[in-house]
Amino acid sequence: MSNTTYFHHHDPESEGAKASCIDASVRTPVLLLFGNALHWLLIASVLALIASIKLVAPGFLGNVSFLGYGRLSAMARDLFLYGWASQAAIAAGIWLMARFCHRTLGGVLLRTLINSAVVLWNLSVLLGTLAILAGYSTGVEWLEYPNWASAMLFLSFLMIGIWVVCLFDRRAGIESGGRAEPALWYLVAGFCCFPWVYGTANLLLTWKPLQASAQGAVQGWFCNGFVILWLLPIAFGCLYGLLPRLSGRHLNRQNLAPLGFWLLLLFGGWAGLARLIGGPIPAWMTSAGVVAGVLLLIPILIVMMNLSGLRRRGEKENIAWQFLSAGLSFVLAAGVLEALTALPGISAFARFTWVTASVDLLWLFGAVSFPLFGVIYLSLPALLGRECWSTSLSGLHYWLTFSGLCFLTVILILDGLFAGLALLDPVVSFLNITSYSQPFHVLEAAARLLLVAAAVIVASNFTRAVAAKRLFPKK
Amino acid sequence: MHRLSTFLIGILLVFLTSWVGVVAYSSSRLGHLDPIADADTGGSLPPNLQGDAIAGQRVYAAEGCIACHSQQVRQTSVTGTDIARGWGVRPSVARDYLRDSTAFLGSVRLGQDLSNVGVRLPDAKWHYRHLYHPGSVCEGSIMPSFSHLFEVRKIQGQRSDQALDLTGVDAPKAGCEVVPTAEAKNLVAYLLSLRHDYPLPEAPVKKAAGAK
Repeated sequence: MSNTTYFHHHDPESEGAKASCIDASVRTPVLLLFGNALHWLLIASVLALIASIKLVAPGFLGNVSFLGYGRLSAMARDLFLYGWASQAAIAAGIWLMARFCHRTLGGVLLRTLINSAVVLWNLSVLLGTLAILAGYSTGVEWLEYPNWASAMLFLSFLMIGIWVVCLFDRRAGIESGGRAEPALWYLVAGFCCFPWVYGTANLLLTWKPLQASAQGAVQGWFCNGFVILWLLPIAFGCLYGLLPRLSGRHLNRQNLAPLGFWLLLLFGGWAGLARLIGGPIPAWMTSAGVVAGVLLLIPILIVMMNLSGLRRRGEKENIAWQFLSAGLSFVLAAGVLEALTALPGISAFARFTWVTASVDLLWLFGAVSFPLFGVIYLSLPALLGRECWSTSLSGLHYWLTFSGLCFLTVILILDGLFAGLALLDPVVSFLNITSYSQPFHVLEAAARLLLVAAAVIVASNFTRAVAAKRLFPKK
Repeated sequence: MHRLSTFLIGILLVFLTSWVGVVAYSSSRLGHLDPIADADTGGSLPPNLQGDAIAGQRVYAAEGCIACHSQQVRQTSVTGTDIARGWGVRPSVARDYLRDSTAFLGSVRLGQDLSNVGVRLPDAKWHYRHLYHPGSVCEGSIMPSFSHLFEVRKIQGQRSDQALDLTGVDAPKAGCEVVPTAEAKNLVAYLLSLRHDYPLPEAPVKKAAGAK
């Protein structure tokens, strides 16, 4: 099976470079990005597992300063956000933009620039993580890297992102007035939003911090913006680009797609304020956040309308298809959960519990990571020019990730609801609630173990696939 | 959505709505709040932080305390739980964070809210013992030990007056004592400085506070 065939009906050879030439031109950065991302994912999963074990047994691994729960959880989350999700999103963006625009990555200078940016990105992630380990965290959630590490990440992104965005104007068929497809809108929007969101938040929270009284709203805006304005558009780009090509059908109700796109960008920016319901920011801000959090369902439903019908015709046995298709389901689940937790009545008891964490988990691990896994499985055979995946490992990875994520989400929601409702009654002491939560923490660690196993499998499958070149010579 | 330039302008405009509404509004309005004069003491509200408490914020950030502890008492219009649990006497407002370098609002409460911990638990000795071994003063606590912020040393001459009064498994060997390092002292100074219990114009403290 050659995955390049999926692109043929959109990829007339007369209209630009051939798929194989495009793949050859972006092979090095995309493989580097995906490979590093999968290995950071593995480390992040292990750290998250250790952190969750420490909730059950606080004395686990002794009292070593740099293995405290606070540092571990910050390292695990940042590795997931910057090492895995963002890095894989950049790789997916490069490959899909080049493919959908039918353009190669040309020029020695540009290639060197992008390859150095990839190295710089991973260096920043490594140094930022070590800095948290050594106690140099900024203490701002999701932005724990010290200011020099976040500045390096930002610079590295610009070195890649500008080229990717400019591809939009260089795409094949633009001269004859061809309109860009929805996948391109989402990819370009994501690549534009990362510097705005990440740059603004770092500028105002870590590089040149605002007076702390103004930081709360910016923190809430950043956390949601990072997911909904940067990572989610890339995931949507993958879904909008690949589901129609893999199923060989057109989008349903395509005329709604622009509306969904613009509403996602509009509400995505505001929805983060719902994270601060009842908090120390003006009431109008949280109200706006609640409204946006609920209205965010509209773009999500439009995406579902456009894409979910395509799933019926999909190739059930294709691993990439399975990941993309499951990713679409997680988009809906995460959107519904986000809207529910944005409601003040629910937020009153669910906020500050694991329910909030489960929403982020569904967005980041479900809605974003699943489509990215799909792109990894689809791109590698094309980039290497041969079949390379171990089918049994791929299948195992899918089921472990899927079951681990569903299990973890359910446990987090149950734990959060239980603790949240118990907290409502001031007669029940806090330590009592903690002790009731312990069984959930044990199950949480078990679910995290599944995710570690999944990460080990996909990382080794990838390494094996890339390294096996000599065993499976190119035809 | 044909050309990049027009497309980018569209994205920029949509992006700017939340950017202006949230970011620019926050930094221009909330970012320039002033302290209020305290008629009773002649000082200002929120109170100024001492140098050790300011240094303690860095320890709070480095140890990742925010992973489990929030610092905000929510508005009573949303929930009365925070005040009913004794975490504060009034909701926290933006001005309360004026003296902080970072607003450690937090998003998870695996541990208790700390916005008024300086009022609830004003004893530094308690905090030292708690940080050294949380389970010894809060049975069943899942908070990890921060014993790396303490030093076990031989008693030179007289026992230090800062040495922790530890019993049972925590007690050091005979002739030794456990004393807090500078980091622990700064962290505790910061914890003791945490209080949102003074009245502000936008957040008065009611006499019958806590009743619900």
